[in-house]
Amino acid sequence: MTSIDHLEQIFRQVGARLVSKPDFKTRGICCSGLVPAKAIVDLAKLLAAEDHTLLDVSVLEAKEGFLITYHFDSFSEPGRLAARVLAPRENPVVPSLHSVFQGAEWHERESHDFYGVRFDGNPNLVPLLLPEDFSGPPPLRKAPGDLAGLADLGVFDGSEILDPSCASLVPARPAPPAAVSEARDA
Amino acid sequence: MNSLNFINPFGVSEDPGSYVGDFYTDNFAKGAGEGTLILNLGPQHPSTHGVLRVIVELEGEYVVRAEPVLGYLHRMHEKMAEVKTPWQYIPNMGRVDYLHPIAWNWAQVGACERLAGIEVPERAEYLRVVSCELNRISSHLMWWGAFVMDLGGVTPILYAFEEREKINDILQIVTGSRLTMSYFRFGGVSADVDDRFVRLTKEFVPYLRERLKMYKALVTDNVILRRRLEGVGPMDADLCRRHGATGPILRAAGLKRDTRTDAPYGVYHKFQYNVPTGPSDDCLGRYMLRLAEIEASLDIVEQAMGSLPPGPVRIDKAPKAGWKLPAGETYFAVEGARGQVGVHLVSDGGKNHYRVKLRAPGFSNLSLFAEAARGVLLADAIAILGSLDLVIPEVDR
Repeated sequence: MTSIDHLEQIFRQVGARLVSKPDFKTRGICCSGLVPAKAIVDLAKLLAAEDHTLLDVSVLEAKEGFLITYHFDSFSEPGRLAARVLAPRENPVVPSLHSVFQGAEWHERESHDFYGVRFDGNPNLVPLLLPEDFSGPPPLRKAPGDLAGLADLGVFDGSEILDPSCASLVPARPAPPAAVSEARDA
Repeated sequence: MNSLNFINPFGVSEDPGSYVGDFYTDNFAKGAGEGTLILNLGPQHPSTHGVLRVIVELEGEYVVRAEPVLGYLHRMHEKMAEVKTPWQYIPNMGRVDYLHPIAWNWAQVGACERLAGIEVPERAEYLRVVSCELNRISSHLMWWGAFVMDLGGVTPILYAFEEREKINDILQIVTGSRLTMSYFRFGGVSADVDDRFVRLTKEFVPYLRERLKMYKALVTDNVILRRRLEGVGPMDADLCRRHGATGPILRAAGLKRDTRTDAPYGVYHKFQYNVPTGPSDDCLGRYMLRLAEIEASLDIVEQAMGSLPPGPVRIDKAPKAGWKLPAGETYFAVEGARGQVGVHLVSDGGKNHYRVKLRAPGFSNLSLFAEAARGVLLADAIAILGSLDLVIPEVDR
């Protein structure tokens, strides 16, 4: 069993809804999975036990809600993986990873600043990069008309659907390989 | 209420007993113990390299707790990405990390190229390596000078600037700037090198090797410096793992993790070079490691310049200004002077980026400071801060 298959097993173990093994050369990640919000701490514990570190927390706002992507990398066998959680647009709350990765505190505070996602269990969820008296909507939120669907963004391209309720997040057909000639300006 | 508020628009009482501090000091003071002193360092403080602010709780001269306060240099680069095209976003990268702009340049251009499936000509790949490594050397030299200055040695930074000027002279030939350089373009680099670039670079490599010997004799082997750094601020691999620290901090802790070899990009695999690790996880170890990395970068520059292939420096039909990224998601990371620089790029196929997340190595590296500074002397805490090699615009983005 390769290490990527092993990572996929870990995703399945915590009840992943979607899982995929993208090509590292084009996607920069070797394993990706959407897990239920309540399972993210368990997943982090399993990864921490296998020498993984938390690289960053990246929030993506889409029609379906806030997709929170945790990028992990292993110290013993490098290969970036993306663990994802989907939080609803109304009152987005996900558990904090602070108890497993203390470095998550700042990443979560940053995500709270910019998107208003709350991280349950973060010990100090005060503004990090924004001023403490900042008022107004979280600055990286988009206008509803500008939102794209996750299927159109191709985040879950080529994923295996383990939870049928998430099937709509996966692009209907694999996106065609990006051809330079088509992408170029005419 | 009274005339005092008019004189003092911040509404601060003149009675020192009733005044605690601003939002962050108050927030920090909640957990303070009996009889301790809360001291605010920065954001305008010479040892904090720009506008970092650190609040510390002191018991005598020892740090009980410390908390960095960020955001004084936050410029919303991620928001700017959403209102700019990939082309318009290139100059932003030079402003994120002013000491190693070319690494950020590479991360952004590389992410777009990866998403669009663009291959880069071989000569351009070589020039990318040369410019990135020269820039890494200048970043490490600048750190070296500033770090020794933090410790009280003022002279070395003047030497560091002299070497950095030489590198700036070289990089100015191709990038046109000395600070916020951007050399990379989608599908290659902006300009080919000329004879002067080749000559200056080939002269610089043996020159700096000689100078490094002098720095070793004058600074590194100085007993005062060693006593000041030895055993101060140990950061083991587990601390690094829990905080996501990368780069020299992690390698000083003994782990051979370097994006250039772990997730190869460019043409780094064509060169023989050393990825130094150790010798120890304290401030002195991080000092020694960065000096060893300068030598490794010199080796790469020497080999790349010695085997520079002929050919174009940009693909024939390189993307033009109105170019649109195909829809999709990708992550591209390069090894910056401070650690792994990552760009998480999501495109909906429109003219601007849909979402760009910038992973700044300094952000994660600084987050471990609170833990590393616990129980050390305040003066040692300054040494630990210095040994992290912070660039605040990168941390705050």
